[in-house]
Amino acid sequence: MNIQKRLILALAVSSVMLAMQGASAADPIKIGIPVGLSGANSVVAPSVVQSAELAAEEINAKGGILGRQVVLEVADDGSGAAGAQKAFDSLIFQKKVDVLISMETSAARNAGLPIVSRGKTPYIYTSLYEGRSCNKYLYCNAPVPEQMVAPIVDKFMKDGAKTFFLVGSDYAFGRGMLAFTRKYIESKGGKVVGDEYAPMDATDWTPILGKMRAAAPAAIVMSTAGGAPNVTLTKQYKASGMKAMIGNLSVDEGTAKSMGADAEGVYITASYLTTLDTPKAKEFMAAMQKKFGANLKTPNDLSVPEYDAIYLYKAAVEKAGSTEADKVIPALATVSFDGPRGVIQMNDQRHAPLNMYLGQVQADGSVKVIETFKNVDPGEQCPNLK
Amino acid sequence: MSQLLDIVTSAAILYAVAAGLLIVFGVMKIINFAHGGFLTVGAYSALIVTKLAWNPWLALPFAFVVGGVLGMVVERVIVRPLYARPLDAILATWGLGIVLGQLITLYFGREVQFVASPVQGAVDFLGESYSQYRLILVIVAVALAVALALVLNGTRLGLQARAVIMNETLARGLGINSGVVRFVTFSLGAGLASLAGALITPLSSVDPGMGVPWLVSAFMLVLVSGISLLSLGVACLVLGGAQVLVSTYGNAVLGGLTIVVLAALILRFRPQGFARD
Repeated sequence: MNIQKRLILALAVSSVMLAMQGASAADPIKIGIPVGLSGANSVVAPSVVQSAELAAEEINAKGGILGRQVVLEVADDGSGAAGAQKAFDSLIFQKKVDVLISMETSAARNAGLPIVSRGKTPYIYTSLYEGRSCNKYLYCNAPVPEQMVAPIVDKFMKDGAKTFFLVGSDYAFGRGMLAFTRKYIESKGGKVVGDEYAPMDATDWTPILGKMRAAAPAAIVMSTAGGAPNVTLTKQYKASGMKAMIGNLSVDEGTAKSMGADAEGVYITASYLTTLDTPKAKEFMAAMQKKFGANLKTPNDLSVPEYDAIYLYKAAVEKAGSTEADKVIPALATVSFDGPRGVIQMNDQRHAPLNMYLGQVQADGSVKVIETFKNVDPGEQCPNLK
Repeated sequence: MSQLLDIVTSAAILYAVAAGLLIVFGVMKIINFAHGGFLTVGAYSALIVTKLAWNPWLALPFAFVVGGVLGMVVERVIVRPLYARPLDAILATWGLGIVLGQLITLYFGREVQFVASPVQGAVDFLGESYSQYRLILVIVAVALAVALALVLNGTRLGLQARAVIMNETLARGLGINSGVVRFVTFSLGAGLASLAGALITPLSSVDPGMGVPWLVSAFMLVLVSGISLLSLGVACLVLGGAQVLVSTYGNAVLGGLTIVVLAALILRFRPQGFARD
């Protein structure tokens, strides 16, 4: 009896000591990365993880953040809502990460946000998306429709297109992006002759291609979930023999590469392209090539914001002098980072003005820059957030 | 016109996917729920062919052989000991499907991957520019149907298989080794599933969970067509056609439900489905 009591006491004391140790300054800063390692996003997710790994390695080599090393916790969100709930739950409440920084589908982000609010964890979203996702703990450093749609539509109209067909995945991103696109096309005097949506994990586009053929548009704007659906839609479109102008609001350079010749001629807008000719972009590319060698996944507009965002978080924590959410959140709007995409600051209603590029995919999968737009404003995103 | 082609090509794909399931169901009286797993194995066989940079056409025989050999092992080790317990055998194939998916994930990773297509682009067909590969799929499906019909009606094994399908006890009494028939049928069914997996990948993508939606469609098609390859063809045309029409005039989300809902309705009002008797 006595021995048992003593044992319990000893256990209690040691666990208290362990808990106290937990708060010491030498503890690493944990960055949670919920990302679609399976499902639609699995085509781009590895490049996102690589970007994060480079940022963490560079930061750790220079002494970490506030003297604390950076540790990455990657979790698969399955590219969708159900997987994201599990991933956010485990990252926030079991791994107890200090921040979430990740590129995800809008479905995954929307499913994760209530958990972020409950866990009071800062969250930097690094994927281009449909815009207007507002939460006290959320920042975004990637493009929104206001920054992406105009270059493609303007180009098509300049080339004589009057009729447009819109096709996307049936969820917040596809619907939101194309609703904006429709409004923009109509405001410029163009006509939308059809818009169609397929489930997020659809692989068969036959009926939609049939409708497209019947509508015979001059230009087609695609906005599927990033990754796999993009590839199947583009492949099947190419096989169908139709020859309209194609703009794609969700294809990144990495995915374009995996489509091979099928993507040739497709127009995209991006805030990062591998061909960017700036010292910072070249420095980044060289570091990625050195770190990953033959295993390097093509850095792209969905992966590079991850790199920027980890540095932005570093700057914010250093300015706040702490990882506490209440101090980091206001600091995030005030710091900037000069990275591969230029100087990024999320000071515009939680979003960032960005340099945007209109590019065209070439036969070898590389993207040629057609036009550059400096410092494009994200517009009204979250006017009610302080 | 192109809508008619959409219907015919969609039916051809469904037929290729469901044929293997149907023959296993006919002979063994069990639904092989590992069918989706075998289909995935075939898709990954095609991926291996792509990675080795072989001629993409080789993916078809390669997938058939891989699936067939795997089917032989599975029949011998898992299904045969459960002959007398058909419900357990069905559960075992369900579990096997999950195991196959996990093994593939372990080796190939979870991500969506793509295989090379043996033909590119569109051809002019009856005055329409249409996907060349989908047209080829129709030819392959018809060839498959003819080959299966020849095997069933023109060979000794086919005769024995039909005897087992009609009355297994009587067939055994007549000296037919129903064990061999079951073994060959299951392997053939697995090989066909795998072949179907390799057939559908060039136009879509490969991932470890890809077999499940196909399994569901194939399962419903087999339920409404009984054990006849001919009625399976009719079922594919009717239900596949309905799917295309609903997706075109309704929307793609509803289209995804068409086969399941229609099959349930058909079975409610005509329990024998498309079978004649």
